[in-house]
Amino acid sequence: MAEATRWGMVVDLDRCTGCQACVAACYAENNLPLNTEEMVVEDRAHNWIRIERYWEGEYPDIKARFLPVLCQHCANAPCEPVCPVYATYHNSEGLNVQVYNRCVGTRYCINNCPYHARFFNWWETPLPDPMPHYLNPDVTVRSKGITEKCTFCVQRIRRATRNAANEGGRQVADNEIQPACAQACPTNTIIFGNLANPNSTVSKLAKNERHYRLLEELGTEPGVIYLKKVDPHAKSTPERH
Amino acid sequence: MAYTPIALVSSSRQVTLVAKLILIGIPAFLVISVAAVLIYAQVVTRSGPTQPIAFSHIPHVQADKAGADCTFCHRNVAKGAAATVPSVEQCMFCHKVVGEQSKVPTAAIKDVQNAWVNKQVIDWVRVHRMPDHVRFLHQPHILAGFDCATCHGDVGSKKQVAQERILNMGDCVGCHRANGAPTECTICHK
Repeated sequence: MAEATRWGMVVDLDRCTGCQACVAACYAENNLPLNTEEMVVEDRAHNWIRIERYWEGEYPDIKARFLPVLCQHCANAPCEPVCPVYATYHNSEGLNVQVYNRCVGTRYCINNCPYHARFFNWWETPLPDPMPHYLNPDVTVRSKGITEKCTFCVQRIRRATRNAANEGGRQVADNEIQPACAQACPTNTIIFGNLANPNSTVSKLAKNERHYRLLEELGTEPGVIYLKKVDPHAKSTPERH
Repeated sequence: MAYTPIALVSSSRQVTLVAKLILIGIPAFLVISVAAVLIYAQVVTRSGPTQPIAFSHIPHVQADKAGADCTFCHRNVAKGAAATVPSVEQCMFCHKVVGEQSKVPTAAIKDVQNAWVNKQVIDWVRVHRMPDHVRFLHQPHILAGFDCATCHGDVGSKKQVAQERILNMGDCVGCHRANGAPTECTICHK
């Protein structure tokens, strides 16, 4: 790729309705194992993207706030330096890559991730028949003993770059790549694109005055930018200007 | 009653046990390792799996015979991930005629015609299989101008298809480096 690339995402929280379509799409696209109630209780459930729900205010003046959280693809990722076998590394396109066949399952990266975006395979994927037929052939089915996480749908990025190369070596167009979560979102909450290109949709949205990044104070420099919720009915309180 | 440590009593027994382990263990290790090396080496030299129909590439590919191009049957090779094995229907494009009137109708042609008449699927045995964590695509390799024989060898002169190259990660990465192809992990591992 000739163009400088830093894949990033903008999540406009003003649009999110908490419908979980992104979560379902991610499960289907990325061959995630089906979670059971026990897995959730043991904190061993897999969800590359999850909707965190917060309550704001007191009843009856209470509001539900939704926050989709996925791997932030940090420029300064805490998961990367702790891997003893270089299974997690940063590639030239700003992706935080997990190489499954290198991973030996130390789980250091999981412990060092402040976003709880990494998941360990404690079991072989329990997929009852006929569920294996739905598996995406472009994505590895992870085996027991390795760590996995959101890839920004790297298989779709690769497909788009390959198609662009086959069509006379053109550049990948803005908004040509859509991760499964962005594609499934009914309200266009999730926008994906190249942050290194100042004219891309994500770059323009990232400059919005509502922008903030999760746990920015840790210095992880996330590649996912959130746009703060706008509340037209918010009562201005003396302590909140 | 005086306490006697077990180790002192059975020390001579332990020595014979260790001797036995060495006498049996070392030859057993050698036999197993030699067998392992031989099995590994066969990946390159084996004759390939026996197919349900004795299909031979020779009459299809050789210039003095049918002289078909690889893509004539493996139609998807420049379009997608898999080169694809032709369906029985595709075999019958030619074999509805070829074989019926030919001078030497072989048993294999009769087999494929019977499969078509009886509406049976031919369960070809897969010869090349990548591990699940590798995503190999034929398309970019063919579009880059590589000949099928680079990886598959001279299939056109083989009666039975076998894996010609070891096709492990060293093999792939070596070729990618030699040809200036990307070696970024996510090119193959996703």
